Formats: sequence, structure tokens, C-alpha cells
Amino acid sequence: MKSSRTWKIAISVAVTAMLCQTGSAWAQEEEISVLMFSLPVTRGIAELTDQFEEETGIKVNVEVVGQNVFENQVMLAFTGRTGDLDVVHVPAIQLQRWVAAGWLTPMTDKVNGSDNAAGFFPSALTTYDVAGENYGLPMFVETGLMAYRTDLIDTPPATWEETKNTAAEVHSDATAGIVMRTSPGQGFNMFVLPMITRAYGGKFFADFPGDMSVVVDSPENLQGLDLYTAMLTESGPPGVSNINYPEAVALMQAGGAAMFIDGTSNVVPTLDPETSSVADKIGLAPVPEGPAGRSPAIAVHGLGIPASSSKADAAYRFIEWATSEDVQAQIAINESYPDFTRPAVGEHQDVADKYAAINPDLIQLRSASLSDTIPNYRPLIPQWPEIGAAIGDNVNSALNGIITNAEALKNAQAEVQEILDQ
Amino acid sequence: MIDRRTGYRFALGRLMMIVLLCFALLPVLWSIVLTFRPKISLFTPIWEAPLAWSLDNFGALARSDFPAALINSLITAGGATILALIVGIPAGFALAKGGLRGTFQTSWALLLLRMAPPIGIVLPLFLTYLNLGLLNTRVGLTFAYMSLTLPFVVWSMWTSFSQIPSELIEAAAIDGATLPQILWKIVLPLSRPGVVAAAILGFLLAWNDFFFALILTRGQTATAPVAIMNFVSYASVEWGAIALATIVLTLPIVPVIMFANRYIVQSLGGAVKG
Repeated sequence: MKSSRTWKIAISVAVTAMLCQTGSAWAQEEEISVLMFSLPVTRGIAELTDQFEEETGIKVNVEVVGQNVFENQVMLAFTGRTGDLDVVHVPAIQLQRWVAAGWLTPMTDKVNGSDNAAGFFPSALTTYDVAGENYGLPMFVETGLMAYRTDLIDTPPATWEETKNTAAEVHSDATAGIVMRTSPGQGFNMFVLPMITRAYGGKFFADFPGDMSVVVDSPENLQGLDLYTAMLTESGPPGVSNINYPEAVALMQAGGAAMFIDGTSNVVPTLDPETSSVADKIGLAPVPEGPAGRSPAIAVHGLGIPASSSKADAAYRFIEWATSEDVQAQIAINESYPDFTRPAVGEHQDVADKYAAINPDLIQLRSASLSDTIPNYRPLIPQWPEIGAAIGDNVNSALNGIITNAEALKNAQAEVQEILDQ
Repeated sequence: MIDRRTGYRFALGRLMMIVLLCFALLPVLWSIVLTFRPKISLFTPIWEAPLAWSLDNFGALARSDFPAALINSLITAGGATILALIVGIPAGFALAKGGLRGTFQTSWALLLLRMAPPIGIVLPLFLTYLNLGLLNTRVGLTFAYMSLTLPFVVWSMWTSFSQIPSELIEAAAIDGATLPQILWKIVLPLSRPGVVAAAILGFLLAWNDFFFALILTRGQTATAPVAIMNFVSYASVEWGAIALATIVLTLPIVPVIMFANRYIVQSLGGAVKG
């Protein structure tokens, strides 16, 4: 009798232990970690994550950090195959390199089998396709726009040549004619310069992706670079060769520049009366065009799944939720987020009203500008970060007057070729 | 009576000191001003908006992850300093008075360890911690900081103990004192300036570290210098919050340094005259 009771207790303990173990394993599967860098949309996602947890029962540890901190931490997680991240912020500009290194999991089957994956701006979604496989869903797409001072400029210039002339006309000691990014880097001066060189017909490669002959030193690129250096040297702010987006935004907000051409995420803060002393004097216009047309910058950010994650299904559910129309609309209301990736978000009345109050043309200008963009504005190849850095360094040297524009492109041509040959 | 030439030299010296002081303090003063300026006036000269002052940055900082990160800094830097002292004081004593062979080589090996670039230490640590489950933990970071502070503590305590006359230790031993008693009751009280200086400078090494914390921690365990970097991001730099966080990060150090100034000077100048 006693023996039977002992057995019962032992079996009960064993079953309970097994259930607890199974339960904890199940709970472990349903907990995911997300790492993103700070943007209005990522901060917005972090704020709304409770909704996802309530809907799905999946616990989410979201972390939003500074961009430099993110880059270090994600690199260590990828190279160390730590497996502690299930969803990561994927800047489109890094996508090819990360895919080539095998750091991301393809999501093609999940995307194809989901209704929610439809309805993105096509250029934003296709950015995440590499060799026929999808590696992410877009949560942010920004494009180039011009902010100009309506008290100084009656009609915004339509071409780059007019922009250079207008900048020279309004330039004074108190107000620079124009400010643009000039610091060297693939995401700095090389984010804005192709808006000019491409408008003059310049390219990086003869016929991307079919003919990858390097044509960085083409006459068209030289024409564009000549305009960029002349315009900024003559009409740029003091210390013109060392300006990045924070300085450019701050200068425009303080009334220190008459024109500012950059991505929407930097242009829109100049319209914010809380941070801009000239918010009521800022107008928006499309990026100027050139002989070859208009080529606004484009930058896309999305969410992907690290190859080392063992919770791809739960991770995808989170990505799908975070990039859904409903969540994007909520973030567009809660944050400064005109960079949504679904056109339908702009049709929500409350969203439309909010951004019309900031500037009546903002949403329409952004949509028109997005339709002018090309996905390979900066070539989406694994070597782009190195290529962009090499060209950016030479362009900055030319702006500093250390070398001529022609020499800068010639050097860049040789360096790009060398990078591709490696 | 001071002659005219000496007076000029004195005045010139004072002037140079003031200029250098202004140069060194200018970034700090500018940070203090930024701390109290509203976003809209951050880059407007004070004379153009003399009445634009705000406490908004305090609220923004309080709502951020910075306060928790500051506590992490305090725990990890403080923990590493205490551990380094516990291990480093006996080690320094053994090197100085133990009559060990290879003391010179050992001390130089310690110094070389201190001179090694952080990247050479932190990446092996990262991989080791990955396997031990110590990544993203305060304990892991504390031990990592100990690798920074321990060589410094051992080296400086070795120097400090070397200045104590061996006759004192021998006399205590003849009187029947054990080794721990000699260390605790005789050597340490005489080396107080050295201990305080080693503790403070070791603490500062860990307190100001950015690189180890960046690699070995994330989120809940990040330290204050990393949290400051989180104010710099894509399309936004929170200048006011950065300035305030920098001031807050510096503040705890100031009274400690002022309190310990005497000990540090004594430590550098020699604790005991033989």
C-alpha cells in the first residue's frame, strides 16, 4: 500500500515536471527579441508592442538603440551567431551584404502566403528581393524633397542650374544660399550627390545590373559634381565641407539657410514649430531636375529575420504586424512619420489631416517623388558600402579643393574597380 | 620684494593658465548652456534669444533609459573596483615585499596588459561570454571591467607598497604579527593615499568605458556612456539630452576627485618618507 502511494507520488512529480518543462519550452518559443535603431517608426512600433502581445500571446522584447550602437551590436550578433535576436532592423543599403554573408533568413514563402504582405509601395517591397528571394518587409521609405524659405524665394527652382543660381542670389552672411550633406560617406554626401549626377545622366555602372562596367568618371558625373562643388562652395554655409544631416537640419531650423535638399525624414523637422524657428516660412518642392530628368534619393528600412534565430514563425508574425496598415496609421498619428510604406496609410482621414496641417503639399509631393525614384539610386550590391565610401572620400576632397573634380572621379573610378575586382 | 621681471612672468603665467582653463572648460560650459536651452533655440546665439531657457531636457532624460543605465554604470564600475582592490592589494604587496622571483617581468607583463588595445581583450571576452551565458549581464561586465582595472590597481599598489621601509614589516614579523595582520594593520594604513588613488582612478577607468559596454551589454544592462550614444540616431540627434546626460555622467566624479585630491597627490609624491 505504502509502495503504491510512493509510486503515485513519484509519477505525479515526474508528470508535473515534464509538463512544466514542456510549458517553459513552449513559453520560450513564444518570446522573441527585436533590435532596431531609433527612427519615428521604430519608436512607434516599440510603443505599440503591447497590442501585438495581446493579440498573439507572443512576448516581445523590443530594443530601440542609436544607429552606431545598433550597427556594432547587430554585427556581433550576426558574426557570433548568438541566436538571441529574432527580428532585426534591415537598412536596404546593407541588405545585399548581409544576404551575401548568410546572415538573414529568406521570408519568401511566408510573404507569398500572406495577404498582409500586399499593399506596399512596389519600389519599397522589391528592394528586399535578392536573387528571387525576399528578406524583409519595408517599414520606412523616405525620398528626396526640397525645403525652401518662402520669405526669401518666391518660386522654388525647378532645375539644378536654377538652384545654383537662386542659391547665389539669396546667399548672405546671415543665410547660406543652400545646405546639403557634404561629409564623406556612403550614407552622407553619397546620399545626396546622386540626385544631381543622375539628373545629368550620370551612373555608377554602364547598365546596372547587366553591364557592370564602372563609369564613375563619365562626363555626365563630372557635370553633376561640378555643379555640386560650385554651388556649395559659392553659396554654402561656413565649414561647408564638413556638414552632415544633423548640422544641415539644425542650420535650416535656425534660419541659417535658404534651401535644404535631403530625405523627407530630415526635411519634415524643418516644418516643426517646436524645433524650427522658421517653420512658418518653409515651403516644400520636388527635388530639382536636370537634362536627364529628376532622380530623388530613396532610403528604405525594413525588418528581417537573422539566420541564427530559431523562432522564425513568431518573428514573421511580428514583422507582418509591425508593417501592417493599421499599425503604420497609428504610428503616423502618434509620431512624425510621413515615411510609411503603404499608400493606403495616407488615405486614412486622420493621417491625411495631420500632415496637411503641417504642409498641405507634403503627402502629395512625397508620393510623386517616390514615383520618380529608382530602387538602385545607390546600387544595391554587397560592395556598395565600400564603393560609396571610396567615392564619398574623393568627392569630399574635391569639395575641399585638395584635388580637382576630374581627379576625384578618376581616383574614385580606379578605387571602385579595385573593390569590385577583389 | 618682487622685481618687475618676476612680476611680469607671474602675470604671464597666470594669464596662460586662465586661457588654458577657459579652453578646457569651454565645452563643459557650452554643454551646461545647452542643457537649459529649448530645442528651438539650441543653435541660436544666447544674445539673440537671451530669455529662451527650458527644463524640457530634464524631462526627456528622465523618461529615457539613461537613469537605469547610470545605475548599471555605478554597479559595474563600483563592483569592478572593489574586486580589483580585493585581488590587487595582496598581489601588489606580494610583488613589492614578497621577495618573489621575476617581479620585474611580472610587473611589466601587467603593464603590457593595461597597454593592450581594448579590441584585443573584448572580442575574446565576447566569445567566451557567449558560451558562458554572461553576455548582457552586469556580472559579466563587472568581471570585464576588472580586467581593465586590476592591472592598474596591482601596478599602483606595488609602487605604493615599495615605498614602505621593509624594516617596519620585519619588526612586525619579529613581534609575532601574521602576514594578513601586517598587511591589514601596518602596510595598508601607511598606504592609504595609494589605495584611495588606485580605487578612484580604477573606478574612473570603468565609469568612463564605452567600448566594453557596447560589445558586452544590451538593453537593460547597458551603461551610461552607451545610453548617451542612443541619443544619436538616423535623422535625429538629441543635442540637449546629450549635453545633460554628459553633465550628469560627470557630476558624481567631481566631488570624489575633490575629496580624494589630497590622496592622489600624496600617492604620486610618495606615501612614506624612508
